[in-house]
Amino acid sequence: MSAQAAGTEVALRIANVGMRFGGLWALSEVSFDVERGSVLGLIGPNGSGKTTLMNVISGVYKPTTGDVRYGGKRIADVPTHEVCHLGIARTFQIVKPFASLTVRENVAVGAMYGRYGGKRSTRASFERAQELLEIVGLARVADRPASDLTIPDRKRLEVAKALALDPDVLLLDEVMAGLNATEVDEALELLRDVNRRGVTLIVVEHLMKAIVSISTTIVVLAEGKKIAQGAPSDVLASPQVVEAYLGSRWVKRQEQLKQIEAQRAHAAQVQPPDAHA
Amino acid sequence: MVAPLKRIGLGGITGSPVAIGVALALMALLLLVPLGHNGYIEIVFRNILMYAAMAYGWNLIGGYTGYVSFGQVAFFGIGAYCSAVLSAHNVDNLFADVALACVVTALFAVLVGLPVLRLKGHYFAIATLGIGLALSDIVANLDVLGASSGLAVHHVDEAHFYVYYYAMWLVALGAMLATYFIARSKLGFAFVAIRENEEAAAVLGIDATRYKIIAWAISAMMAGSAGAVFAPANGFLDPSIAFSADSNIFPIVMGILGGVGTVAGPFIGALILAGANELLQKYFIKIHTLFFGAMIVLVVLLLSRGLVWLFGLKGGARTWLKSLTAYKA
Amino acid sequence: MHLVLQDLANGILAGGILAVVALGFSLVWGIMNIINLAHGAFVMLGAYLTYQLFASLHVDPFLSLPVSFVVMFAAGYLLQRYLINWVVRAPILTTFLLTFGLSLLFVNIALIVWTGDQRGVTTAYAGANFTIVGVTIPWVKLYTLLVALVITGVMHLWLTRSKTGRAIRATSMDIGAAQLSGVRVASIYAIVYGLGAGLAGVAGSLISMSYAINPNMGEPFLIKAFVVCVLGGLGSVQGALVGGLVYGIVEAFATQLDFTIGTQHISGSGLQDAIALAVLLIVLIVRPTGIMGKATA
Repeated sequence: MSAQAAGTEVALRIANVGMRFGGLWALSEVSFDVERGSVLGLIGPNGSGKTTLMNVISGVYKPTTGDVRYGGKRIADVPTHEVCHLGIARTFQIVKPFASLTVRENVAVGAMYGRYGGKRSTRASFERAQELLEIVGLARVADRPASDLTIPDRKRLEVAKALALDPDVLLLDEVMAGLNATEVDEALELLRDVNRRGVTLIVVEHLMKAIVSISTTIVVLAEGKKIAQGAPSDVLASPQVVEAYLGSRWVKRQEQLKQIEAQRAHAAQVQPPDAHA
Repeated sequence: MVAPLKRIGLGGITGSPVAIGVALALMALLLLVPLGHNGYIEIVFRNILMYAAMAYGWNLIGGYTGYVSFGQVAFFGIGAYCSAVLSAHNVDNLFADVALACVVTALFAVLVGLPVLRLKGHYFAIATLGIGLALSDIVANLDVLGASSGLAVHHVDEAHFYVYYYAMWLVALGAMLATYFIARSKLGFAFVAIRENEEAAAVLGIDATRYKIIAWAISAMMAGSAGAVFAPANGFLDPSIAFSADSNIFPIVMGILGGVGTVAGPFIGALILAGANELLQKYFIKIHTLFFGAMIVLVVLLLSRGLVWLFGLKGGARTWLKSLTAYKA
Repeated sequence: MHLVLQDLANGILAGGILAVVALGFSLVWGIMNIINLAHGAFVMLGAYLTYQLFASLHVDPFLSLPVSFVVMFAAGYLLQRYLINWVVRAPILTTFLLTFGLSLLFVNIALIVWTGDQRGVTTAYAGANFTIVGVTIPWVKLYTLLVALVITGVMHLWLTRSKTGRAIRATSMDIGAAQLSGVRVASIYAIVYGLGAGLAGVAGSLISMSYAINPNMGEPFLIKAFVVCVLGGLGSVQGALVGGLVYGIVEAFATQLDFTIGTQHISGSGLQDAIALAVLLIVLIVRPTGIMGKATA
């Protein structure tokens, strides 16, 4: 895999993407660039359109308006099985491995048919699969049927399968859902490792702490629109983001509470508290 | 750490290697049959080999790729009629018969597969059932193919009849070896991936349409070759013989009994079921189909993963018993 | 022109029966996700039941309809409850083959009991017909159409209004939720399968009044039931009715095909299965949700 490229080369360009289902616009006018080598965190309250956007980026949905370009090519023009050959891979929220194949065989399929699969023999694919299993930490269960795996291991398998496609860009859809704190840390380490190897990551997560710790940039969606983009600390401090997550009534309530607090403090200063004697 | 060679395919998507060994040994034994100079026995085993080849065909599209076809008989019939037509033009060469059958059935599979393989599950199954029936109807109306009266097919004299036996043996062996090598190759994994989860397979770069058609074309050629050898061996062909319901359903039940998605399964299933069928026909002619129906019911209820699976089963009887209630409501 | 009307009339008359056949098939498929390959055999058994009652006890075929329904319902119920239920949630191949095996059994039992000879239910009024705008309509076929319509109407009401009917529809929509609401799924499945068999039996009885019967008569109906379900959408009474009528009409016209290419004579009447398949493929490719536009499997 290529080493990180210097500078701000754009890997993926999302331009004015809109997605309409029936009468509902699940996404509208979403635009941003993804820099090669970066980790982009995609966050937003439930229903904000994150998974829809992931589906558009990975070619599962054709956007109603706008497009997603990778290396200049429109992803919507490419059939599903060709998307990975462009260099984009993804994991799915609901993991469904090839149940009757072993863990290694699952990953080997990706190595056989992914971007460089054409050049790999069956044997080479299995060797590559073994390498990847070591990277994600599944080597110990390599010969077990995939249906036997625990949830965290299934998620690892998803990542390994996606990596087997030799992607430049990896989309991770809620890969940490259902993991406990230790497992989340392990997952984050794995993702950092993958990123260090030169893979650009787009991560959708609900776990704020995880997103913040791993992302170089964060994009925030609310009701299908992009409402913020930037470095994690900036984005999370932004009032619009807070409002989007916690609601305008909450924000107003916080303001009211602050005012009441300020008034109390002011009143306390004017009328000193009772002193003893 | 390199994945040991034995992990590639063996025991996984080829099924128990012991079973494969057994199957090959039995195949070798079958070479001896014509030496007994018993015409009836020869026909029995020739039929077993024929059904085995068709079972391999079904196994590839239904067992490995997961597209359960109920119309493999269509390809068998086409292959048979290829031989009949060649014979009518005085070409009586088994190689030509099989070659033509392969070409025609593969073409047919590709043409029909393009629309039909877009259907899933039930729809695909019934559509293929319909294809078999429809072909039977159509051929019965085509005078150039003898319509419902059928065609006579030239064949060699009694003394050389063993030629058909060995030809069928070669077809069955070819089907078995093809299955083995495909299962171990990238192609085999594409098939299984499609079976397990077609969408996930596409995401991993597998062009499902292309591979489904390839699977169907190969399975068509297996059935077609069997038909091509059958026609001269039988000496006569008409739609009810070429597209018989038996030829359709036997291979499926054999594939299941032997083991879906394995290399040894179809052959073992064919041996057992076709053998049993012959015995039943001999001694219980009136109710042999009844027995067959009962056999299907029992196989489905008790052995739905097949014998080869039983071979490799960990946990013995208890696991088997548990598997019986796995699908209860 | 009146030939066209005659074909149309024939199509409608045949389509009504087909709707009843398809309804039972559609219910089992839509609610239990089982393609019941024994459905044709149930039709056949219903036909023979009527035949036997007529031949031995001189029971008028119309009177045998309720008997046919009850007997076949019971048979279907028991079959599902104590046999099919073991694998009802298995992949399609399993249930396919199981019902196929059952079909083989039933057909062969029928062959043994009644032999393969064609038989008929010939009542005194069998041949009577009337003519209207130049179209000849046998009375029996008209009555069977009326019965078919009544049956579909009753089924529709029962499925939508009755407690069991609603439980059935709940099960087909969401098994988990239905179970949580107290629905006993195994019972529902048995009832549904019994219904399927019962309706098939009644259809068979109706068929026996106008057509000759033999143990293998069921298979064409199986295929046609499938096509009707695809045409009309799964699990819906209106779908089965519309699909049945449409298919009946299409078939009536298609079997009139009669032309010659060169020396090859092509006659539609021998091509029933091919026609069914053609219709099926066209519908599946052009409009997979069927005419009624309801989502299918």
